[in-house]
Amino acid sequence: MEHAQHIIESTQEIFSSMIMLDVTPGEPYHRKNEMLNDSISGIIGLAGNTKGMLAIHLPTQVALSVTTAFLGMEVEEVDDDVRDAIGELANMLGGNLKAHLDPKGSEIQLSMPSTVSGEEYMIDCIADAQEITVPFTLEGNQFLVELQLSPE
Amino acid sequence: MDFAKKIIHTTEEIFNTMIFMEISSGQVLTEGQEVLDCHVSSMIGLSGDFNSMLSIHCPGNIGRAITSEMLGMDVEEIDEDVKDTLGEIANMVAGGLKESFAAEDINLELSIPTTVSGKSYTVSSPTKSNRVIIPFKLEQGRFFVEIKYSLR
Repeated sequence: MEHAQHIIESTQEIFSSMIMLDVTPGEPYHRKNEMLNDSISGIIGLAGNTKGMLAIHLPTQVALSVTTAFLGMEVEEVDDDVRDAIGELANMLGGNLKAHLDPKGSEIQLSMPSTVSGEEYMIDCIADAQEITVPFTLEGNQFLVELQLSPE
Repeated sequence: MDFAKKIIHTTEEIFNTMIFMEISSGQVLTEGQEVLDCHVSSMIGLSGDFNSMLSIHCPGNIGRAITSEMLGMDVEEIDEDVKDTLGEIANMVAGGLKESFAAEDINLELSIPTTVSGKSYTVSSPTKSNRVIIPFKLEQGRFFVEIKYSLR
């Protein structure tokens, strides 16, 4: 699916240019209702002619290293800095992906990002949305970037 | 922009006309991050002339009660039916807000709804954003409708 390629390009661009970390993409797959354990997710809505939702799911430890690299300061627990950083990461990914999906820049608008964190939670999309997830490896650890698009 | 008033009006209308449940709104909250002891949440992005995310947060029993009422069948657990129902209610509330803002020449587009469920999770928004949370009471307990927004 071409969207997997967009996710890979956007994620690599954002990580290398904003966070100065290299990430390696794995095989795209359909993530169906998997439980997320001890994780934090940044979520942003895509609104307009193309409707959807973009999410990045990071295990807590990975989120802490990403935030440390992003903000240039040590973070040891999931606090407001980490939540803001992961929300901002979703926002940057959404902005970059929007440029791929909508080169004219007039048909998709990003919502405000939201973060979900916890010991055990699930994030589902509506039943009929198309969904694709790309796993990425960062210094031996994995995180996921997921895109859901409405079929209309 | 009176977000609270619009959300109360729209939510009451949807519950009265589509779900046939009596609800009453409580004191509006503006607290930042809150767990609110909820086990299922749905969210949808609303974006355009301002940037926002609308969420509905329910304790498990309330999510089941609303779904039972709306679908006319017993619901034992937080399953696909509950997630789809709460996603659909978020979609309807956001649609109502969109219409209400459009009447004031404020244009918005919707993303697709997503649901979050689990034993323990926290939903938060960027610390710089504004937040309005409205508790609604029904026979079985309370649920919350929240909007996080930033004006452009």
